Amino acid sequence: MDFYLGLLQIMGVHTLLGLSAYVVLLTGQVSLAQAGFMAIGAYVAAMLTVLSGWPLIAALIAGALVAGFMACLVGFPALRVHGLMLVVATLAFTEIVRLFFFNFDYQIARGSIRVGPLGGEGFRQIRYFPENGWTTLHVAIFIWSVVALVMAALWWMDRSRAGAVLRAVGEDEIAAQSCGINLTAVKVSAMTAGGAIAGLAGGIYAHYTTHIEQTNFTIMVATFAIAYPILGGLSSIFGTVAAVVFIQGFLIEGLRFLGDWRNLLFGALIVLVMNIRPSGLLDARTMATLRRLFGRREG
Amino acid sequence: MTAVDLAQNTLDGLMVGASYALLAVGFTLIFGVMRRLNLAYGPTIMAGVYLGTAAFISLGAPTLVVLVVVIIGAALVGLYVERLCFRPFGEGARAASMVASFALWMQLEEAATHLLPQHMNPFPPLLATQPLEIGPLLLRADHLVMLAATLLIAGAVTYLLARTKLGLAIRAVIDQPRAAAIVGIHVERVMMLTFVLASAIGGVAGFLIAATDGQVTHMIGMWATTKGLVAMMLGGLGSVKGAIAGGLLLGILEAHAQWFLGPQVRDMVAWGLLFVLLAFWPGGLMGAKALDRTMAVGRRV
Repeated sequence: MDFYLGLLQIMGVHTLLGLSAYVVLLTGQVSLAQAGFMAIGAYVAAMLTVLSGWPLIAALIAGALVAGFMACLVGFPALRVHGLMLVVATLAFTEIVRLFFFNFDYQIARGSIRVGPLGGEGFRQIRYFPENGWTTLHVAIFIWSVVALVMAALWWMDRSRAGAVLRAVGEDEIAAQSCGINLTAVKVSAMTAGGAIAGLAGGIYAHYTTHIEQTNFTIMVATFAIAYPILGGLSSIFGTVAAVVFIQGFLIEGLRFLGDWRNLLFGALIVLVMNIRPSGLLDARTMATLRRLFGRREG
Repeated sequence: MTAVDLAQNTLDGLMVGASYALLAVGFTLIFGVMRRLNLAYGPTIMAGVYLGTAAFISLGAPTLVVLVVVIIGAALVGLYVERLCFRPFGEGARAASMVASFALWMQLEEAATHLLPQHMNPFPPLLATQPLEIGPLLLRADHLVMLAATLLIAGAVTYLLARTKLGLAIRAVIDQPRAAAIVGIHVERVMMLTFVLASAIGGVAGFLIAATDGQVTHMIGMWATTKGLVAMMLGGLGSVKGAIAGGLLLGILEAHAQWFLGPQVRDMVAWGLLFVLLAFWPGGLMGAKALDRTMAVGRRV
């Protein structure tokens, strides 16, 4: 049972990560900075609970705010460039953050042990959940409550004017601009929101694994973050969730019985899905079919 | 800190930079024709190098044979990547290609660890001679070979692009794929040939790097992708000259950063410089000051 709860926790964090990239992708920007924002959120939230004794929720919110603030700062210079240049600029950001934490020491004595981040050794002893008597079930429920909250917010945003503006910028920047949309404001807002969500994902991740280090936040994680919404399709937030279930549930856990051969198939299956459905698992047509099936009229 | 140290660092950086430059030349060719990021570029090279070292370990192949195996291996794997990640998607689906190439990256790493399970594998050394002494400075002979090979290949690529019919076709595809198709250029074949050529150049780079190290781990894949990417971006996209300049500059910069600030800060300096350069000076060293560098690619290749 604990195994499945653990899987649920991983899926929850990865869903948040995918959603953070989803918001940015809506504006047509491919950002590999999500891993960097996740790292910032993870370290900030963990330092607040472990070193300063903050309650979890406050620490998570603080981590998300700091990550969002950094995303806003990064957004202005980075969004001056397009396409591949943006990909590389954001990748550079992720690597800078990772190398910063690789060299970052800030330990204080607590009882007989020293706690806090210690460079390449990472940040151990993030024991908020066990110290406060949370079981795996509690943690899983908590994570998915946060995921549900974020998804509800994004779903609502998607259906409001803000969603239309984001998609307009993603579809055609010049057309959007000539409608009087401020491109910089829209892109930086999307980046900030995405950064905050990634920071939230990082904070939760730090607390359920109890140990974070810089190798948790590499280009690999950044690519996973954008792989979910792209594999799932940008028509709806549920595509991202479907992709997380497909990758984490089926490809990674479901194929575990294949042993070492799993990763060979993993790559092949992702490429296969991308070839069959280049615009994602849940593309616009599938979403329209689903809406018909569930009886809601197209507006 | 003396003038000798400074000169020695610059020299060392220049030699390491030669391998970065070669990686960047291959990267820039792929980016030129595809306009998409190939994350599997480094892992392609790794696959070629692993095939070469497998031939060396199990068959005792001589260095020259290993070189041929590495180049052919990298070219074939490059073809595989192109078929699966780039051919099926149009230019509109840039991110789809990137995600697919990322998936192949994981696959290639897994295949490589299946081929040779131990972490570190021996690789035939290029030249086992003593370092040359030029006054107070030391210079490794195999580094010299690396620099010479880089300049030779860069010259050959420039000649190919500027003087041959295939080069003309490549430049036409880079400039305007649709117009190139209309005048009768087989665009897909040109793309495929360029991709394979670039992968083979990457194979040469991988061979030289592994041979000067005398060993190889599967980390070389990610390493080659990031170093090639940074060098390409520093120099300005889509220019062979820029790729060479960017690679050499990155090497020299890293050597000095390591000397003054330590190995851990070295990579941070490289990435930080790249970020600042991209954000505030997006044309790159050899580039025009145009904001949209993809537009400038065609004019420069």
